[in-house]
Amino acid sequence: MPDVVIECQNLTKRFGHFTAVDHVTFSVSKGSIFGLLGPNGSGKSTIIRMLCGILEPTEGSARVAGVDVVKNADDLKGKIGYMSQKFSLYDELTVSENLQFYGRLYGLTGARLAERRGALIALTHLEPYLDRRAALLSGGWRQRLAMACALLHEPPVLFLDEPTAGIDPVARRELWDLLFEFSSRGITLFVTTHYMDEAERCSHVGYIYMSKLIVCGVPDDLRNLPEVNPSGTRRIEITCEHVTVGLQAVRRLPGVRSATVFGQSIHLLADANVPDDAFRQTLAAAGIRNPDIRPIAPSLEDVFVTLTAHQERLAPA
Amino acid sequence: MKPPFRGFTAILYKEFIVVLRDPLTLFFMLFPPIVEMIAFGYALDNDVKHMPLVVLDQDRTQESRLMVHRLENTQTFRVVGEAYSLNEIASVLRQGKAYAGLQIPPNFTRDLRAGRTAHVQIIIDGSSSTIALQALNTALGVTFRDSVELLLTESGRRLPPVELRPQVLYNPAMRSPNFFVPGVIGVVLQIATTFATAMSLVRERERGTLEQLLVSPLSRWGLMLGKLFPYLCIGMSMAIGLFAIMNWLFKVPIAGSITALLTGTLIYVFALLSLGLLVSTRAQNQMQALQMSMVMILPSVFFSGFIFPRETMPWIFYAIGSVLPTTYFISLLRGIILRGAYFPEYWHNMLILAIMGAILFALCVFRFRRKLA
Repeated sequence: MPDVVIECQNLTKRFGHFTAVDHVTFSVSKGSIFGLLGPNGSGKSTIIRMLCGILEPTEGSARVAGVDVVKNADDLKGKIGYMSQKFSLYDELTVSENLQFYGRLYGLTGARLAERRGALIALTHLEPYLDRRAALLSGGWRQRLAMACALLHEPPVLFLDEPTAGIDPVARRELWDLLFEFSSRGITLFVTTHYMDEAERCSHVGYIYMSKLIVCGVPDDLRNLPEVNPSGTRRIEITCEHVTVGLQAVRRLPGVRSATVFGQSIHLLADANVPDDAFRQTLAAAGIRNPDIRPIAPSLEDVFVTLTAHQERLAPA
Repeated sequence: MKPPFRGFTAILYKEFIVVLRDPLTLFFMLFPPIVEMIAFGYALDNDVKHMPLVVLDQDRTQESRLMVHRLENTQTFRVVGEAYSLNEIASVLRQGKAYAGLQIPPNFTRDLRAGRTAHVQIIIDGSSSTIALQALNTALGVTFRDSVELLLTESGRRLPPVELRPQVLYNPAMRSPNFFVPGVIGVVLQIATTFATAMSLVRERERGTLEQLLVSPLSRWGLMLGKLFPYLCIGMSMAIGLFAIMNWLFKVPIAGSITALLTGTLIYVFALLSLGLLVSTRAQNQMQALQMSMVMILPSVFFSGFIFPRETMPWIFYAIGSVLPTTYFISLLRGIILRGAYFPEYWHNMLILAIMGAILFALCVFRFRRKLA
């Protein structure tokens, strides 16, 4: 496969007796936005660090942009961009100086540096902040600057470790718009996050839980996995008033496998033979009238919750 | 293909901005050494002058008063009061109000005139050996000279049988600042420079910027040299400032070549900055870096010959002193500043410093891991 940009085989990292990453295998093709999801401490950052060549894997192998990250870490460095979880720019330097510094660090000089700088400033709209110290930027703008710095040397792959952690929703959306912009220019993006809505935006997602990669693929394929949609069941959404009261009521109904509140509605997985009327009657008994019931596809959250439960049944912790 | 100093200019550019943009840090780097230098320079003064003296004059004659005057004229003593008994002298000494008490007994003048040995007693507080020794020597000198003069007039000879003609080289006035201040510069420079670089890499580790540097093509040599160079400039400006204070405030003349002095200082500062970098490649946080630098600094204060002569130390301390850059720098400074030594007379100190600097710098380059632990 010529268009595979990142691939790893049985990638494993142990810290003493603790296994942070346990035989993880996946591949990412060129131009995709790969989202690696998982709770804190599940091993996401460790995977990124290994793929960036700054952490030695205990076992397994990985190639990024055609370079073996263990054997040729040095050749890798010019080919990747990396934004670590912590804000990793220099607070004392202005936006402009940070760009200058990272450009030089990657060996850019003169006209080439000026051109790349200009292009990234235009792309990230950092123009008005050029003379501001990085310390005085708000979260969203800091991340823009960090992205611009990471992309100065035109890497084909950009790794972003929780780029949206702690950023307000507006800035978060703008940041994602920027990521799509990069992606449309052919840059492969590897993003870790623990926001489910961000997972929905990715072209490919992997879910990591307790150091293991539980599932990996295109979001729509994941929604249709048999483990997520057991035969003889259906997923429905009930929109009604007093959702918390309703939730308690429908949970007691035989044939309901799981139910959870989702905004102003209840999402539930029930045996296919439970008719809509059964729900209506139960809700009416609880004093809720005129519920709106419709079938839905599982969300990625549903997928991950189901698969996590599945995993725990297979291997009790 | 890959230049060994990849990223050097980038780091240099960044370090200069970071250092110069933060005036507070710069101030705290430059200011304490100057204060330390002035404080140390004044405090470490062995020239004891005007020691408080109480007098118990039981003779009360012209001769007894002359005796007291002669002691005062040496500048070593200053009469601070009169005592009326030996017990009172003892009490004043115990209180620390005087360092010495002089007792001139009632029959002093009578014995003197009768040609018998007249006795004078000096009671010295021996708790500080330096002070006691100086008091004793001065008092001995005064009485001895008096006696010789008296004997000369009685015997009719015009000159004493033996006379010592001393010639004190390099520091003819035997001022202690000349001895101490160059050493103070060595120690003060070490404190400031080691701390500066010991912190710099650790701070990047703490802030997470180091991780960002690790994924870049920056080479280890480029990183270390880029980190070191700005501090080399600051360290040299500091050294020049300290030499100026030494010259103007403490009036220590520079007998030798200034070029040699600055070359030696450059090599020394390079070695110390490398030592600081070495600390910062090992320390995980600023607290550790601080403690590790302290461990390096304390022996330099005690075993480098800065205050105590190394020759009289037990072999173990002598050996510790032999591996400290400060030892060789202080020796080099005293050679050039005080004795006006020429290259053949001090080159070995410079060479040892250069070798130490090279080893320390190479060590930090090779010990620095371009991976996370």
